[in-house]
Amino acid sequence: MCSVTVAEHNIQLEIHTHRKMFTILAAEGNVITQLTEKFGISWPLFIAQVVNFIIVLFVLKKFAFGPIQAMLEQRKNRISEGEEKLKRIETQLAESEERTAAAIEEANSTAKRLIDEAKESAASLSEQKTQEAIASAQGILSKAEEAAKAERTQMVAELKQDFGRLVAATTASVTGKVLNDDDNKRINDEAVASIEG
Amino acid sequence: MAGHGPSADVLIGDKDSFAITNSMVMVWIAALLIILFCRAATKKMSMVPAGFQNFAEWLVESLYNFFGGILGDHLVKRTFWFFGGTFMLILLVNYLGLVPGVGSIVAYDSHGHYHPVLRGGNADLNMTAAMSVIFAILWFYWAFTENGVKGFFSHIFAPKGDFSGAMKVGMIIIFFLVGLLEIISIFIRPVALSFRLFGNVFGGEVTLDKLMHLVPYDWMRFLPALPFMFMELLVGFIQALVFTLLSAVFLKLICEHDDHGDEEHAH
Repeated sequence: MCSVTVAEHNIQLEIHTHRKMFTILAAEGNVITQLTEKFGISWPLFIAQVVNFIIVLFVLKKFAFGPIQAMLEQRKNRISEGEEKLKRIETQLAESEERTAAAIEEANSTAKRLIDEAKESAASLSEQKTQEAIASAQGILSKAEEAAKAERTQMVAELKQDFGRLVAATTASVTGKVLNDDDNKRINDEAVASIEG
Repeated sequence: MAGHGPSADVLIGDKDSFAITNSMVMVWIAALLIILFCRAATKKMSMVPAGFQNFAEWLVESLYNFFGGILGDHLVKRTFWFFGGTFMLILLVNYLGLVPGVGSIVAYDSHGHYHPVLRGGNADLNMTAAMSVIFAILWFYWAFTENGVKGFFSHIFAPKGDFSGAMKVGMIIIFFLVGLLEIISIFIRPVALSFRLFGNVFGGEVTLDKLMHLVPYDWMRFLPALPFMFMELLVGFIQALVFTLLSAVFLKLICEHDDHGDEEHAH
């Protein structure tokens, strides 16, 4: 009897618990209904607003953010490309400046070398020419001396002959004797000897 | 008597089938303004921006950088259209709600009830719920595509840290329970997002409405509400920011990989 009562009590308790849960759930359902009614939430209005919102987002994505972001991206790319180009140009400029400086330096050294060589060459040429001129002058001088000497010798010889002839002629006219070749020779030799003596 | 209740007023149609409400019209006006602005800004785009294009580029770039700071380069590329668009729409709808005439120009129906012809778009829970639900759907989509299904669930349920033996078993149980809480939290977040935005905007409208009726003369009704108009300007901006910022943070947290950032996993 007692166990039956306990079992019945348990069943009743369980039924009561279930009823209570259903009541709570029903109350919750009521609360939700009350809330939706109070705040004016209804499926048609909600769906209409969902559609509105989706359309706005789509239009914004298509006509606002799309083109603007594409333009921003394009500008960003162009700026980064410009920056890269600038860097490349700066590098090229630096390289070009380096090359120019090297070329100028090389040209300077070449020019210096050429000038030195020209100077050396000019000095050497000048020396050579001087020497040649000196040699030439000396040659001319010696030739002139030789010529003068030869002329003098010739003149002396001619003078001796003329003097001998003159002495022979004078002797022949003074003595009235026809002189033969031996006489002429002897008189000439004596005359020349007297001049040289 | 209708007026400033929490539900939007139906202008055309039936609330239970098809209807156009005053807050819906405001959203359309805001959308139209945004579309016109975008068309004007992107009509003749040039590499050297000027006028509308300049302003639009500044706006988009600022928002992109802002959300990029939260989400990172990869995620912001995928999701900016949502966050940027949502921010702009919420902001404009909030500000349009402050334009004189919105909420105060009313029409009377056949029962003698008056209804505002226009109403702040975000003072309608249908609108804020629509935004939150769409965010929630995209949120899951992005989370699954970023981490995969396995990664998504292991991110929520898998124990963090290096444990062994009994401690490991304990941690598995604890993290499973924490994961359950996390799942509840994930489902509550969109609800919180929608109610937060709705509550702030609706509260602001009610405040302005009540303040205007504090004075006895019609010609000086603007006076008590004037300081609060400035506050509402701030609130409009902050609420747009809070909605999108929190959404972005939620997305970032759920997309984080387990190899970095577990410590920050504080929801």
